[in-house]
Amino acid sequence: MESQLKANIPPALVDELRAIVGDDGILADPAELRVYECDAYTLERSLPNVVVLPQTTEQVAAVVKLCAQHNIPIIPRGAGTSLSGAVLAVTGGVMIALTRMNKILAVDYRNRRALVEAGCVNAWITNAVKSRGLLYAPDPSSQPACTIGGNVGTNSGGPHTLKYGVTTDHILGFEMVLPDGEIVWLGSTPDGGEEVDGYDLRGVVIGSEGMFGIVTRVLVRLIRAPQAYKTMLGVFESVDGASQAVSDIIGAGIVPAALEMMDQLITQAVEAAYHFGFPLDAGAVLIVELDGLATGLNRQAERVIAICKNNRAREVRVAKTDQERADLWKCRKRAFGAIGRLSPNFLTQDGVVPRSKLPEIMRFIRACSEKYGLRIPNVFHAGDGNIHPLILYDERDPDQIRRALEAGHDILNKCVELGGSVTGEHGIGVEKIDFMEKQFTKEDLDAMRALRRVFDPENRCNPHKMFPGSKRCSDFAPKKQIAA
Amino acid sequence: MRREKKFSTTNRHELTRMVLRATSLNELTDTLAFGNSRGEKVAVFDLSALNRVVEHTPEDMTVTAEAGLTLDDLQTQLAKRGQWLPIDPPNPKDTTISEILNANLSGPRRFGCGIIRDHLIGLKVVLADGRVIKSGGKVVKNVAGYDLQKLFVGSRGSLGVIVEATFKLRPLPETERFVLAHCESLERAGELIESVLDSEVAPLVLDLHHLSTLNPSASADCGATAPKQSEDGQLSTVLGFAGTREEVDWQLAKACELGFSEPANLDYEKSFWVESSSAHRLSVLPSRTIETIRGLGHVSFVARAGNGVIYYRGGTPPPKAAFPVNLLRRVKDAYDPKHTLPDLPT
Repeated sequence: MESQLKANIPPALVDELRAIVGDDGILADPAELRVYECDAYTLERSLPNVVVLPQTTEQVAAVVKLCAQHNIPIIPRGAGTSLSGAVLAVTGGVMIALTRMNKILAVDYRNRRALVEAGCVNAWITNAVKSRGLLYAPDPSSQPACTIGGNVGTNSGGPHTLKYGVTTDHILGFEMVLPDGEIVWLGSTPDGGEEVDGYDLRGVVIGSEGMFGIVTRVLVRLIRAPQAYKTMLGVFESVDGASQAVSDIIGAGIVPAALEMMDQLITQAVEAAYHFGFPLDAGAVLIVELDGLATGLNRQAERVIAICKNNRAREVRVAKTDQERADLWKCRKRAFGAIGRLSPNFLTQDGVVPRSKLPEIMRFIRACSEKYGLRIPNVFHAGDGNIHPLILYDERDPDQIRRALEAGHDILNKCVELGGSVTGEHGIGVEKIDFMEKQFTKEDLDAMRALRRVFDPENRCNPHKMFPGSKRCSDFAPKKQIAA
Repeated sequence: MRREKKFSTTNRHELTRMVLRATSLNELTDTLAFGNSRGEKVAVFDLSALNRVVEHTPEDMTVTAEAGLTLDDLQTQLAKRGQWLPIDPPNPKDTTISEILNANLSGPRRFGCGIIRDHLIGLKVVLADGRVIKSGGKVVKNVAGYDLQKLFVGSRGSLGVIVEATFKLRPLPETERFVLAHCESLERAGELIESVLDSEVAPLVLDLHHLSTLNPSASADCGATAPKQSEDGQLSTVLGFAGTREEVDWQLAKACELGFSEPANLDYEKSFWVESSSAHRLSVLPSRTIETIRGLGHVSFVARAGNGVIYYRGGTPPPKAAFPVNLLRRVKDAYDPKHTLPDLPT
């Protein structure tokens, strides 16, 4: 069982850690630690005892070994953009922040792969290789900040995963420090082939939410940038029409690179914040992006436009320039940032439903909004069936907090009922622990726990996450704020 | 039926190992649980009775199928709705979903379509002791819990018996065409491959093959007859394109400029595997494909040149790869502590 007590780290151990990472590689002053008390999920907060900022794999391994000897929890952390509390130091411990290991070590253009340190920011990779016509495909909205190590931990998605797949489809292999301090390489090596015999340990570490060890270097797959894009904005009278258009596009055998929906509330907020030129009176807008060879795109675009029109789209605009396309995506990816204009606080969920159930879940969310008397704008990866309802509330009103939480629970329960999942991108973390038993049987959870013991027999690496029965922060400290 | 009767010995394996036939999931779980409690080792699973398409939802582009279903039967059903599972291992008529997953099988289209784990979104597995677990689900994006299903892909049945799988599908392409270029030397083939990778075409298939019937050692370890084929001994690079007619025509024109002028098909692939379903496999950095083939000497081979994967017969077996041995052993012990299921070949 995981330790239920706040870790106790004697000063002598802090000195030993300091000897490994150097004076400027360690934070132990409570004021300095404050930054690390939570990630982008701010409902629960807890200070780590110490934060170390190693610069090499060897330093990471030395820190991990020392913590193993003293039975102290270790918590890996990238940029702290997790939306589920995945890097919360629930019972304190030593937080290992990889942000100083952020280099692109090598790019192999011929073999379309790059070796980067775990703290390398997602967007830096594409920026470094785009002049050679390559890109790193997974593009979470936090990509200007989030790290590849964090992406590996959460198996991050993004708008373009509809066609290109999620993080696990683009990670060839990585170096990892196991919770006992051993350094292993899992998956393909930088100069090795794609096929790796034995179990796909690479595959199970991706999405393990940092509970299997500390990933230090990552070999990512690069893909060739598409020759051409066709980015369209469908303007719909209603969410129903837009939802049905999504279902119809997928059902027609068209595979857009991205297929995103924004409803009226969020479109208005985004327009107020970024002035793109969105219609303020439309029920919903769809961003449909086709990519590939220029020659095939026009006919596909015509089919998409016809489907939109069939579902009572008022108009379908086509981005005329690269700049217009970039602006449109900037608005979409910064949509969460515009919420401040609508409400002091919001709670977001990222449940998934089979794509044909999209109209149904959207109607359910609308009903929840009415039932709980809270506004719920939606901006989400419609093509994947991955919803992002943003439940607006004011933290100064305890009853609103309660209603927001209940609405969120109702929506996730409905996702499971419709044959979906409670999380498509953000992970379980501490936030959705209670839903694990709704989605999985005891046998399923036992099989997951068995895998965890393979990597971390002492349950010491990023403890108190994912599994029912984990210790909650609220047992240590009063709730301060419910969301960012 | 009494449980004991469900075990039958087979002379293909030592007497302590059993062939397990299942006519239903319940029978399979009962039998595994019973056998496991007595420490009976199981060598071979016959899942041919578990051969249904459980659910195909064309508008979701997902399908759930029982593991004993053959790929050919699955593709036939999917094709009725204009869809397919983008995987093309040899002998689809005789190859089941279970075999594709357990052996991580793929084919020439892997350069454009990826491998089976890229399409797998849900898995139902019976563990060694008879417990049934599910991983993933039927939605295309899902990060709830660990991605446990990855563990079973390529695990050769050593961790559990896969009984059902859910995949995301793709629309069948409007058209698909193949072209080839004969190459007088490996150098020339290498140049051609580089020119394709530097060009704007996006082939689904980028293969290099040389099927030799002149190599006596080729059949020595396979015990099979030589492949029947018309282009004996020719070294050829093959490109495949799929998509809309416009896309494919445009790419064929580009490929022609690069020297791929001869219409082709995938018969070489069939010929290679008809000889035997086993071959040596090497996986190298894609840029080292040509030098690696050269190092093999005179062998019959099919290479996924875009992926750096080479299948060959004759010559010397590939060197053993380095494994993270401790971790692999711990995984096996975690899921099959009594080692009643087959061991992972190393």
